[in-house]
Amino acid sequence: MSDPIGAFFDRLADGGYARLLRKTGGTVRFELTGDDGLDLWHLTIVDGRVAVSREARDADAVIHTDRAFFVRMVLGEAKPLPAWLRNDITSEGQFRFIVLLERLFAAPPGARHPRAVAGDRRELA
Amino acid sequence: MKSNLVRVMAGNIFVLSQDNGDIEASVANPCGFFDFDTRFLSRWRLSLNGERLNPLSIAERGYFALRFFLVPGEPTHYVDAKASVIRERSITGGAFEERLTVFNHDREPVEFTVRLDVESDFLPILAVGEERKPVGRLYRRVDAGCLRLGYRREKFHRETVISTDEPAAVTEDGLTYTVRVQANGEWTTTVRVRALVLRPDGRDVREQLVRRPRRTIAEQRDDLARWLSRAPQLSCDWDAVTTTYQRSLVDLAALRYSPLTLPDEAMPAAGLPWAATVTGRDSILTSFQALPVAPELAVATLRMLGIDQGSVLDDFRDEEPGKILREFRYGELAAFEECPESPYYGSADVTPLYVVLLDEYERWTGDADLVREFEDEARAALNWIDEYGDILGDGYVRYRRRNERTGRENQGWKDTAEAICYADGRLPEPPRATCELQGYAYDAKLRGARLAREFWGDPAYADRLEREAAALRERFERDFWIADRGYYALALDADGRQVDALASNMGHLLWSGIVDASRAALVAEHLLGPRLFSGWGVRTLAEGQAPYNPLGYHLGAVWPFDNALIAWGLRRYGFAEEAGRIAEGIIDAAHYFQGRMPEALAGYPRELTRFPVRYPTANSPQALATGATFLLLRALLGLEPAGEHLVMAPRVPARFGRVELLDVRGRWGRIDVIGSGLAHVDRG
Repeated sequence: MSDPIGAFFDRLADGGYARLLRKTGGTVRFELTGDDGLDLWHLTIVDGRVAVSREARDADAVIHTDRAFFVRMVLGEAKPLPAWLRNDITSEGQFRFIVLLERLFAAPPGARHPRAVAGDRRELA
Repeated sequence: MKSNLVRVMAGNIFVLSQDNGDIEASVANPCGFFDFDTRFLSRWRLSLNGERLNPLSIAERGYFALRFFLVPGEPTHYVDAKASVIRERSITGGAFEERLTVFNHDREPVEFTVRLDVESDFLPILAVGEERKPVGRLYRRVDAGCLRLGYRREKFHRETVISTDEPAAVTEDGLTYTVRVQANGEWTTTVRVRALVLRPDGRDVREQLVRRPRRTIAEQRDDLARWLSRAPQLSCDWDAVTTTYQRSLVDLAALRYSPLTLPDEAMPAAGLPWAATVTGRDSILTSFQALPVAPELAVATLRMLGIDQGSVLDDFRDEEPGKILREFRYGELAAFEECPESPYYGSADVTPLYVVLLDEYERWTGDADLVREFEDEARAALNWIDEYGDILGDGYVRYRRRNERTGRENQGWKDTAEAICYADGRLPEPPRATCELQGYAYDAKLRGARLAREFWGDPAYADRLEREAAALRERFERDFWIADRGYYALALDADGRQVDALASNMGHLLWSGIVDASRAALVAEHLLGPRLFSGWGVRTLAEGQAPYNPLGYHLGAVWPFDNALIAWGLRRYGFAEEAGRIAEGIIDAAHYFQGRMPEALAGYPRELTRFPVRYPTANSPQALATGATFLLLRALLGLEPAGEHLVMAPRVPARFGRVELLDVRGRWGRIDVIGSGLAHVDRG
């Protein structure tokens, strides 16, 4: 994928946000810095449905990070909450939108279903 | 950890010190000024003319202000100091403030050197009880009359800023005032300590977020008065009950915690001072217990835990879709994923209990809108039970950590490593299906069915949940009942074999209603029998089981919240006298601690110690124990919402005399409940 960030927002715009709660609402602005400047993306969520825009508008929360780190979150390699605690992402506005990010990005790669580990007897009591 | 330290606190901000107000932190002495799960001061030592100070007395004003009366020098029988100091300490507006006043009792003017030694190690709260070398870099500098102590690790940055309103010589290790005080005069200064959680641009992360301003002392005092006036009023002939009730109300107020995610609401924190954070089990069970006095706590709990509900598989956090979290932390360990509390989901009981709380809340308050609002969360939780909780596909909720390095081995309320054991002390192989988890799942399905039918317009789903609950109950009775001993197995091991220890867990089964009525009497007999009942309450593990130890946290100690759930369960099955014995024992014990319900008591037989022996735990108050007072009262008074009414069936032991609980709020408006001890009835 040449532009994982664009592809991520395209996916959201096409309805790829199945984990959002229906009652979620609000606008989040992402300010992503890269070598060649700042990218702005806006997610507007109404009744759990997402619209994506690149035009400036008011937001309930603003999230800042660099593009490389954002890609890590998109891929599920980095989690937003500990990233916020480390200042790898910073934010203004309503904190609940940081928690909301957990529902937008991919699951961590390699995670297992509890049933897949159930028969594994490596951890003996 | 020491529990005899003196403290002030507000939310997750607190100061713990020795009884002269000094902080000298070490591994064995975990005191300090803490905020946001980080220690911002590890040394805070006051001296007058080079002499340390000793306390004459300490006065507390609520939980947010303290006043120390101090004199220099070693204590003697006869204090004849020519000087004394008052140290007034508070958490106000989110900062730690100390007002120092030096009194000169001499008839001559005196020159004093007032010295504060200051230092910080910026340890994360989860590491204060252990040796830890800082991974990042500590610094200290003097800047425009302020002392700044700091810690950086990559972009993670914490800073303590100490400022004062009187001239002082400020150095990197403290503040020195040189003052001349007139005969019989005094000198005062205020020292302010701010804890900053900084971003790379130098701003405090919390100041960038929408949240209420931190409350001043006056606002906190008004709020406490309002809280107390809103709660039902209790009177009882036995003053142990009123003392414990009043103390529990004040403690519950202190435990209210507004997380960043929910700045305008308050949920119960698990315990103070060490667990002022978002937790699953403690918040849910405390909110459940407190429904008769503060139903609004349940709303905040359900909302907060719903926002954080698991949505993906994540091995490090033991997260699965629909799962309710165990604990969240803001400190360095969580930030750098040295521990999984960001948040951690490793508990198997919390998710069904979430549905139990939602249903019980509606039954008390009639707040149907909330039940509709939380339909998705509740359905996801119910789905978790079968899809992710039933690990072996045999219809039982089990747990097994996927994070084998820093995850929890045991994922019920008894979460120490050896808590779930066979009678001979061996540990069962995971995945483990403890008995109470099955009870919670059964109860969640039945309550979920009611919600689906009455509020979500989904009778087919309701029917399915009821069928599943009935099947679970039948299976449970077959597989868990140990016929030749007459009690339920503590758990099933990985091979479906019964884990046969006799433990308090089966008391929760009565609360959940999964127990067949024909077996309830045997269960009650065991719970109140000499092996489990200490005289104060039901032990976590019965005497005679190999690992039993009266001081075992989950292997013999008596927990008030465990007992409150058991008493309520006994009441549910008609064992009012047994419930009364438990309530009497636990309240009697709390009375020895000025009404503060201890987290746990040692399991010694009552006739051996005569006094209850408090388990040496770190948190006081602890939310679950505080909530126990209210559920015990509910059990005594037999309070059960039924439709638009509150059914009351007081069955009160003679010792209590008359019990009146006035203005109990609920869907019925306000109602008074009056019960009388049996002896009074006889006399009357």
